[in-house]
Amino acid sequence: MSIDTQLPDETVHVASAISDEVVIELASVNKWYGEFHVLKDINLAVNKGERIVICGPSGSGKSTMIRCINRLEEHQAGDIIVNGTEMGTNIKNIDAIRRDVGMVFQQFNLFPHLSVLENCTLAPIWVKNMPKAEAEKIAMEYLERVKIPEQAGKYPGQLSGGQQQRVAIARSLCMSPTIMLFDEPTSALDPEMISEVLDVMVGLAETGMTMLVVTHEMGFAKRVADRVIFMDQGEIVEQNTPDEFFTNPKSDRTKLFLSQILAH
Amino acid sequence: MTDATQSDTAFRPKPSLPPPANTVGVVGWMRKNLFGGPVDTVLTLLGVYLLYVILDFVVDYGIVNAIWTADSYRECLDINKGEGACWAGIGVWFNSMMYGRYPDEEQWRINFGGIVLLLWLIPFWLPKVSGKIQVGISAVLTFPFLAASLFIGGDIGIFLHAMTAIALTLFVSVWLNVATCYLMGKSLPAVLISVTGFADKDDRLHKYVLLGAFGVGFVLALLYHLSWDLVEVPTTIWGGLFLTLVISGIGISSALPSGILLALGRRSKMPVIRVFCTAFIELFRSVPLITILFMAVTMMPLFLPVEFNPPKLAMVIVAVCIFAAAYMAETVRGGLQAVNKGQYEAAQAMGLNFWKMMALIVMPQALKLMIPNIVGSFMGLMKDTTLVSIIGLYDILLMGKAAGQNPTWLGFHTEPLLFTATIFFVLCFAMSKYSQHLERTIGGGYGRR
Ligand SMILES: Nc1ncnc2c1ncn2[C@@H]1O[C@H](COP(=O)(O)OP(=O)(O)OP(=O)(O)O)[C@@H](O)[C@H]1O
Ligand SMILES: [Mg+2]
Repeated sequence: MSIDTQLPDETVHVASAISDEVVIELASVNKWYGEFHVLKDINLAVNKGERIVICGPSGSGKSTMIRCINRLEEHQAGDIIVNGTEMGTNIKNIDAIRRDVGMVFQQFNLFPHLSVLENCTLAPIWVKNMPKAEAEKIAMEYLERVKIPEQAGKYPGQLSGGQQQRVAIARSLCMSPTIMLFDEPTSALDPEMISEVLDVMVGLAETGMTMLVVTHEMGFAKRVADRVIFMDQGEIVEQNTPDEFFTNPKSDRTKLFLSQILAH
Repeated sequence: MTDATQSDTAFRPKPSLPPPANTVGVVGWMRKNLFGGPVDTVLTLLGVYLLYVILDFVVDYGIVNAIWTADSYRECLDINKGEGACWAGIGVWFNSMMYGRYPDEEQWRINFGGIVLLLWLIPFWLPKVSGKIQVGISAVLTFPFLAASLFIGGDIGIFLHAMTAIALTLFVSVWLNVATCYLMGKSLPAVLISVTGFADKDDRLHKYVLLGAFGVGFVLALLYHLSWDLVEVPTTIWGGLFLTLVISGIGISSALPSGILLALGRRSKMPVIRVFCTAFIELFRSVPLITILFMAVTMMPLFLPVEFNPPKLAMVIVAVCIFAAAYMAETVRGGLQAVNKGQYEAAQAMGLNFWKMMALIVMPQALKLMIPNIVGSFMGLMKDTTLVSIIGLYDILLMGKAAGQNPTWLGFHTEPLLFTATIFFVLCFAMSKYSQHLERTIGGGYGRR
């Protein structure tokens, strides 16, 4: 991982804005795919404004864990509470949580049949019943923030990967979420596009957004994270501040993982 | 540059020469494609000979020896000994093959209905018109009622009166919308709202304004429509191309919505719905249409109470719709499966509920992929409606056959069949061409990706 080149000034940690309020709480969450125990007794509390980076080897359950937070995956045991709403089987609760939680995917998942602007205005119009003109105004503001307002009329298929991912971020932000989930947002990108997406994410961190980011971009973790979580085989093995995590990992498993990932 | 030695070493491109004469132009093309070798040459000559034989026959039969005016089939045979077509008969039977036994003086109602439908759909192809989806939905949902009250006539009951009035109101609104879009550059709702001066008020008020305008239109249309006084024409004497188009038109326009619902049902997580939809689809897909038709007209009345005795045509239409829906469901399911899982997840993550996700994200992408298959089913359905002739509905095919059984036209069989075939070819070929056009424009679309 090219820690040194990704971010211009990675030594300066983005100022933290953590409040006492717990916005996400996972209590003894367990999940199985058939017989396969993919999440094992996960306990995690995330405070408002906190920025968490989640890393771990492939198949360790990182995606599964954050996808449980907006119910793209269903957990079988334990409680998940988001913004005070208990995630049950109640559709109303799930919808309320999804309105508050934005998600950015590895494969962007933009809607190919809609223009960039329409991608951004769709949910505000159809979920929040916002008038079209207002939705477009907000969408243009966010497209400006991710630095691609000039692409508003194009279709996703006409954009580069980095541009598409920035549109995806803007699209999520248009719903004014209080929490953002990122599942390996830069893994499908060419190296020169990674930094343009990470820049946007750093900018977002500076606004005090609560963020859960699954990523292997350790430079980003050092610069932005308030806490780094290391997962393996469905468990949270270790969690710590980025300083401690990188310079002084406690478990052998973490050391091995770090030595592999930093060896590049 | 004028130095001789320098110009010797400088690069000078060779002049471009024309290609050898026998590789380009008509001669070149023929050499390459028709006479490339001995086998090619033999096949080409054989093909030319076959073409000559066929064309010769067609011209002789259809034009040279054809009879254009005659009063009976006998008369035709006397003149050309059966070596040419008797197009005179088509002229005589044309009206029957178009309208069946629908009374001559009432046939304007069919033409009028057809023209209204065409006019209703034209805004679909006008580039500047907004709200195309609403145009389509309004036509599909309400035109059948207008058509029913127009084609059947008589005492149609208050429900049909009301639905027809809604249809008329929507039809007029569609064209008012066209007018405002072209003359003022604004949609009809926008114009209505700005006329009332509530433009800067909130959305709720806008809805009331539009509802009010629609209500006024509805009342006017209802009053106007109550003054209609049409003779009843029972469905039993409907026939010809008209009947074919009624059955296939209803079948086609109901197939897509009901097919979508069945396909969604089959993928549903709720077991009762899933099992019901799967059973429905598999049952009706595995049974020939003709069996369903027979069951509809012979067995259904046995199960229904005596006083509830729907006309045969209604039964047939229900049967065709069920059959078409079952087929369409599988086509739609194929399209749904082709849409990436990530699209569903992104839609869910944004908080769209199931129906909005399907309508806004999944279906538009799935339908785009399915255009060729959908149009294929439509063409199949249109041709399959000729099966209703077997259970005694006088569609265009049976009407043509009836012509040959008429005492004056005994034996007049070939020409009506040719005529029917031509009509089906024109209709289906038009559909096929239009689907190719759709594929190129919206299908190739997504901003020329
Ligand atoms: N739908 C599914 N059905 C069965 N098993 C699944 C399913 N989705 C994921 N798994 C399994 O669950 C485990 C955890 O998957 P997950 O996607 O959460 O891993 P991850 O940590 O995100 O890995 P990666 O870094 O490769 O994205 C993996 O072993 C995977 O094979
Ligand atoms: Mg993953």
